[in-house]
Amino acid sequence: MLFQRTIGPAIAFLQRDARHFQVLFLASFLLYGTMALGWDAEWPRYAILIGTVLSVQTLFIRWKRVPWSSLKSALVTGLGMSLLLKAGSPWTLALGAAVAISSKFLVRWDGKHIFNPGNLGIAAAVLLTGDAWVSPGQWGSGAMLVFLVGAAGGMVVLRVGRIDTSLAFLGTFALLEMVRTVLYLGWGMDVWLHRLTNGSLLLFTFFMITDPMTTPRSQAARIGWSVGVALLAFVLSWKFWINATPIWALLIFCALNPVLDHFRKGAVFQWTSSTPRTTTPLRTN
Amino acid sequence: MDVLHAAHHHSFTNELNPMTMRYLFLFLAALLAQRSSAFCGFYVARADATLFNDRSEVILVRDGQRTIVTMSNDFQGAVKDFAMVVPVPVVLRQQDIRIVDRRVFSMLDAYSSPRLVEYHDDNPCYPQVVYESLAENDDMRMPTANASRMKAEAKDLGVTIEAQYAVGEYDILILSATESTGLKQWLIQNGYRIPESAHEVLDPYIRSNLKFFVVKVDVSRLQLTGSNLLRPIQIRYDSHKFMLPIRLGMANSKGSQDMVVYAFTRTGRVECVNYRTVKVPTDRNIPLFVKQKFGPFYKDLFARAHRREGRNVVFLEYAWNVTPSFGGMKCDPCVGPPPMPREFAEAGVDWGGPNSGGGQVFFTRLHVRYGREKFPQDLVFQVTPNAEHFQARYVLTNPASGDLSCASGQDYLEELYYRRHRELDELQALTGWDITKRQGYLKEVGDRLPPERRNGLPEWTLPLDPGDGGNAGPGSPDVQWTFALGSLLIVLLLLFRLRNAVAHR
Repeated sequence: MLFQRTIGPAIAFLQRDARHFQVLFLASFLLYGTMALGWDAEWPRYAILIGTVLSVQTLFIRWKRVPWSSLKSALVTGLGMSLLLKAGSPWTLALGAAVAISSKFLVRWDGKHIFNPGNLGIAAAVLLTGDAWVSPGQWGSGAMLVFLVGAAGGMVVLRVGRIDTSLAFLGTFALLEMVRTVLYLGWGMDVWLHRLTNGSLLLFTFFMITDPMTTPRSQAARIGWSVGVALLAFVLSWKFWINATPIWALLIFCALNPVLDHFRKGAVFQWTSSTPRTTTPLRTN
Repeated sequence: MDVLHAAHHHSFTNELNPMTMRYLFLFLAALLAQRSSAFCGFYVARADATLFNDRSEVILVRDGQRTIVTMSNDFQGAVKDFAMVVPVPVVLRQQDIRIVDRRVFSMLDAYSSPRLVEYHDDNPCYPQVVYESLAENDDMRMPTANASRMKAEAKDLGVTIEAQYAVGEYDILILSATESTGLKQWLIQNGYRIPESAHEVLDPYIRSNLKFFVVKVDVSRLQLTGSNLLRPIQIRYDSHKFMLPIRLGMANSKGSQDMVVYAFTRTGRVECVNYRTVKVPTDRNIPLFVKQKFGPFYKDLFARAHRREGRNVVFLEYAWNVTPSFGGMKCDPCVGPPPMPREFAEAGVDWGGPNSGGGQVFFTRLHVRYGREKFPQDLVFQVTPNAEHFQARYVLTNPASGDLSCASGQDYLEELYYRRHRELDELQALTGWDITKRQGYLKEVGDRLPPERRNGLPEWTLPLDPGDGGNAGPGSPDVQWTFALGSLLIVLLLLFRLRNAVAHR
C-alpha cells in the first residue's frame, strides 16, 4: 500500500528522465562526502555554484527560448561542480559556474554545444583565477567507492546509452595503468587497485565523461574518443605529474568533437524520449 | 567577542575621513590584539611530535617545480649504525645538499602542535576576572652516540655512483642502479641494513628513474661538531614530482609509523592527492583534569581518529599564513614564538625574508600514521590556493571561584554540572577513556547545590548526546555501511522496476 502510493510514483518520476537519477545520486554523493568523509561542509560554496548555474540557465532560457526543463541539466552541472571544484572566493565559483552554462549556448557547432559544461567551468576557474583547485584525494580509494559510484553511475549511464563511453575510458585507463604500474614498474597489484579505485576517477568515469550532449554521436567515434581521453589522461599524469588529469584530457577531447561528428554522423541525443521532439533546431540542455 | 566590538564600531566609520578611519582602525587593531590574549584563552600545554614513538619529521617546501626536503634524522640508536637510503628524482649537486640546525624542527613542532587552552568563568555573584596560566613543556630528546665509517666500493652490480660528497658529519652517495638485486647486494655489502622485502620497492623506484640518496655518518667529523646528535640534512631539487617515498621505510617495520610533515608554500595548504586529507577533531571542550595528561590525551585522540577514518588518511593538524609581515593573528593562542625569517631560511623557505622579496608563507602541518596494508602508494601532494586557517585546539574551562550562593550563582552551578557532563562525554568520545571513575568531577559540582536541586540532576550513566564528538564520526564503517546498503536497496529496487517496465513494453 505504502509502496504503491509513495515509492512507486517516486520511481516512476525518476524513470521519466535520466537527469532525475543524476540529481539524486550527485546530491547523495555530496551528502556522503560532507557527512561521512569529513569534508568541510561548505554549503555556501554549493549554494553559489548551484544558484549561479540555475540563474544563468534561466537567463538563456528566456533569451534563446529553450524549454524550462533544461534547468535540470543545469542542476546536474551545478551538483557535479560542487563535488569537484573548490575555491577561496565566491566570485571564482560564480565565474566557473557562469562559464559552464554560457558555453552551452555560446560555444556551439552544428546544433550542439562543444564542451562538457561542468568540465569547462572547472577548467576556467582553475586556469583563469589561480584561486580554484580540485582535490583528487577527497574520496580516498576503496572497493566501496567502486560499488557505490559504479552502481549509481551505471543506472544513469545505461539509461542514456553511454555505457560504452564509461567502459572504454575506464578499461583503457585500467589497462594502461596495469602495464605501467604493475608490468613495467613492478609495483604490486594493490598499488594498481589503489590508483583505480580512486573516488574522483570513478566519479569522472560515470558522471562526467558520459554527458550525452558532449560525447560524439556515433558509437564507434565515441569509443575511440573515450580511449583517447584515457590515453591523454594517462600520459599527462605519468609524464608531467599533473593531478586530476582526466579533467584536462576531457577538455581537450571535447574540442575535437565537431571533427568527429563531421565524419561519423549519429542521432542527436534527447533527454526525454517520451515527450515529442521540439521542432526548434536549438536544443541546448 | 572582540570581533563583535569591532563590527559594532564599523557602522559609523563610513562618515569619517580616511585618516581618522585609519587611526581608528589601528586603535581597534591594538585593542583587538591586547584583548585577544585575555579573552581567547591561554595556551597551557601542547602535544608535540615527540609523543609518538616510531615517528619521523620532514620539512617540505614547495615553490613552483622546486622541492626542498629536510629530514630530521632523529635516530634512536648508535650513530655509527645510522644509514639512510632516500629515493630522489634527480642526481643532486653538492650545493643542493646542506646541514641545518636541528632546532628548526623543535621550533616548527612547538609552534604548530595541537594545543590545550584554558578559559576562566566569571563569578556571576561577584563579576571579576582572575587569570592564571600554566605551562608544562617538557622537552625530551633521545641522546645518541657512537660512530662508524663508511667504505664505498663500486662493484659490478649494475650500481653507478653518480656523485659522492662529504657534507658535515655525513658521507653522501648518489646512486643509480639498473636492477634491484645488484643494488640490494651493494647496499648490504656496504653495511646498509636492507630488509629482505626491499627489492619489491627498489625495482619500481629504479624503473621510475629515481636515484638513491645514500647517507652514512663519519663519526670523527661528527665529533668536530661538538655534539653527538645528528643534524638534519636538507636537499633541494627541481622536479614535477611532489611526493614523499614512504614505501621504502615501510619495508623495515611491520607495524605502523608516524610522520609529521611541516610544509611551506607561497599560496596555501598542501594536501595529499592520493589519500584523503582530514582535519583532526578540534575546538572541543574537555574536562579540567586532562590538563595533567594532555600528551596521553592527544595520543589517544589521534589513535582513535586514525581508526575511525579507516587508517588510510592524512591528518591536518595546523594550517596558517605565517608570513612575517602578515598582520592578522598568527594563532589562537600561540604555542611558541612564531617562526622568524632566520628560521624560514633554515627550513628552506628562501622567499620569506624581507630581503628576498617577502612573499607569502603558508604553513601546513600534516600528520600521517601509515602502514604497509593501508598505504600501498607513496604520498603524492599538491599545493592548493586554500589559505583557510586551521589548528588543533582543545579547551579547558575553569569554574568561577568564590562564593556562589546567590540565585544566579546556583543557576550557574547547575549549568556547570551539565557542562561537565558534556565534557566527560566528549572526552570519552574523543579518546575512548573509561570515565566511570571520574564521577567525582561531576559530584564536586553537585555537592555545592542544595539537595532539592541536586536530586534533579542526571547521574553519569550514558552519554547525554552520543555521537557528538564522533563515535560514529566521519568515515566510520557504520556510516559507510549504512550508506552503502541504503544505496544498494535503491539500486535493486530501481533495477527491478526497470525490468518490469521493459517486460511490459
